[in-house]
Amino acid sequence: MPSSNTLEQLLSARGDLWRGRQRPPVPSISTGRAALDQQLPGGGWPRGKLIELLPERVGVGEMELLLPCLAEQTRQGLPVLFLAPPLIPCPQSLVRHKLDLTRLLIVREQQYTFWAAEQCLKSGLCGAIVAWPASADVRERSVRRLQLAAENGQAPVFLCYAPGCKPPASLAALRLAIRTGGALDVLRGQRGKSPDTIRLNASNVVSLTTRARS
Amino acid sequence: MPHEALWTGIVCPQTAMQALLRLLPEDFDLEDALAVHDTVGGRTRVIEVNRAAHRLGVHAGQVLADALAIAPGLHSLPRARKAEQRLLEEIALRAYQYSHQVAITGDGVVLETGGSRRLHGRLDTLLGALADDLAQMGLITRLGSAPVPAAACLLARRKRHQAKLPALRKLLSEWPLAHLALAPGELRKLDSLGLKHLRDVQALPRFERDRRLGQALTRYLDEITGHQQTPLVYWQPAEQFHQRLELPVPTIRSEALLFMLNRVLEQLHHWLQVRDRSLTRIEVEMHPEDQGPVVELRTGLGQAGFHRQRLLEILRLKLEPVRLQSAIESLVVRAESTAEQPPPQADLWTGTNVNDAWPALLDRLKARVGEEGLCGIAACSDHRPEKSWKWSPPGTTTAVCETPLRPNWLLPHPKPCQIKSLTLMDGPERIEAGWWDGQDTRRDYWIAHDRHGNKLWIFHEYKPGSGWFVHGLFG
Repeated sequence: MPSSNTLEQLLSARGDLWRGRQRPPVPSISTGRAALDQQLPGGGWPRGKLIELLPERVGVGEMELLLPCLAEQTRQGLPVLFLAPPLIPCPQSLVRHKLDLTRLLIVREQQYTFWAAEQCLKSGLCGAIVAWPASADVRERSVRRLQLAAENGQAPVFLCYAPGCKPPASLAALRLAIRTGGALDVLRGQRGKSPDTIRLNASNVVSLTTRARS
Repeated sequence: MPHEALWTGIVCPQTAMQALLRLLPEDFDLEDALAVHDTVGGRTRVIEVNRAAHRLGVHAGQVLADALAIAPGLHSLPRARKAEQRLLEEIALRAYQYSHQVAITGDGVVLETGGSRRLHGRLDTLLGALADDLAQMGLITRLGSAPVPAAACLLARRKRHQAKLPALRKLLSEWPLAHLALAPGELRKLDSLGLKHLRDVQALPRFERDRRLGQALTRYLDEITGHQQTPLVYWQPAEQFHQRLELPVPTIRSEALLFMLNRVLEQLHHWLQVRDRSLTRIEVEMHPEDQGPVVELRTGLGQAGFHRQRLLEILRLKLEPVRLQSAIESLVVRAESTAEQPPPQADLWTGTNVNDAWPALLDRLKARVGEEGLCGIAACSDHRPEKSWKWSPPGTTTAVCETPLRPNWLLPHPKPCQIKSLTLMDGPERIEAGWWDGQDTRRDYWIAHDRHGNKLWIFHEYKPGSGWFVHGLFG
């Protein structure tokens, strides 16, 4: 219908008009990859939200995925926390990604992961938190607590489940699965299970690039 | 400008009881009949009672067995002279914030307030502030002032203030002798001589007084009336903070222990204030009653300073995982401090100190995960990848040298792998090092892909062993 088309055009031309079907803008931090930013609900990693990562194997691409954002946070003088990383983050590689090592803090004890993450969030001082909890500690209640704590702060919280760990039903803003070879699936976006699942694929993990879903 | 000396005395009615009550856990029912007993000359007598015990008919001077017969529910604790002495020192520490001339005189604390009068305007303001401080410590105290130190505590017991010497002399001469701090034996002697008031004693010729009553008593009377100077040993806050608390009732409950620690922290706070120092480290030792292993809690502070609630929280975190085997009977608290005191900078809007929030967070994390558990990461100048990194204290790192491409993750130990299932992509990078420390190594590093497309960092070892190993992951 030409008349409704005109109306649509008129309405969408106005920048000061907010319509119910649009979502209010979510404050976010760029992922450092334009292609990925476009696909995420807020145009980047949402601030003050819990982001769940489900890597298929350890070291399958989670660090590569997060490093641009983490490095940017440290360069702005904000501390970044690694809670119980499963392997040793290589300092030479972190510096190559322009991460300021003086701003990086690592908690090596795995049993206090959720507690430490909550303390850091409460302080409101951290730029980003990446936690690798033990599968046994992952319970709906602790994830829920963490999510509530995250909402008081400005920092994105990345919860990286151990491979094979069944994540509890949670209200995380984003849930991403990282498949071997560096393919990325958005299992859950801001709109619940996103109908337009993004598939990020890469010839290798070093540069993640988007590819339209076939 | 010389000022007229004025001494303020602080006395604690029921010192023995108050000293013990401070050490009892918070939830101790104060409505219970409570008494303090002491053994003098082989007989155990009640020396102080609380109101509930008094109502039951227990009174000071009673033999303990009699008191227990009258009131079977009576709690009686043995007198703790050390605790009493510490109580006086606590008061002295508080008083030291008002005057540099503070002395502990047997039953109380005296401080010179004449010199501080100008600072506080009127004496009332000073005494009011002092009384508030003492009340905040949870103590019941009485204050009194006199121009001579020996009389200050006497007046404090009666809550009298007398700034002028002639008026003091007049007041004292009217007092019955029982109001003075005299030993019971001396009182009996004076009574048997028919002397009831101080003026009766003063009426005696000096020679007669010395001969009949002894020089010590005459001297005491001269001191309180200001005819003679009182030698005072001025009290000074200790150089080091070191407190030992004997708990009257051994306890295994951590809440009760934390309550005690809170009391000690309160003292530490005053000590730091009067010595103008900041805390850097605190050590707590808990001695169990059966000579079992001593429980130690140590914590260093990321930033020198003192925040009682925060410190208490850290101690609570440290105490939580400790499983106490038996009841704790004494606590020892030691503090390390520095003279540098960073000026506290409070945030204009929230009133909280933003500068120390980060060190506070680090302290809290460290309290739980341990000093080792919280760290940064730094590079080491060694070509062997397994020796090219180290954990470093939080917030520190070292300069990183330029290296060829490294993976994001290093495996703690290289893992043997099957080269057949991998595709070599880039390399080799020859690393030959360690001949100087007996770990001579020769390897060729490659970047490889596995069947799933994961990028690995692998090496072919020639020395000391041989074979293919995975050493890192580019993910």
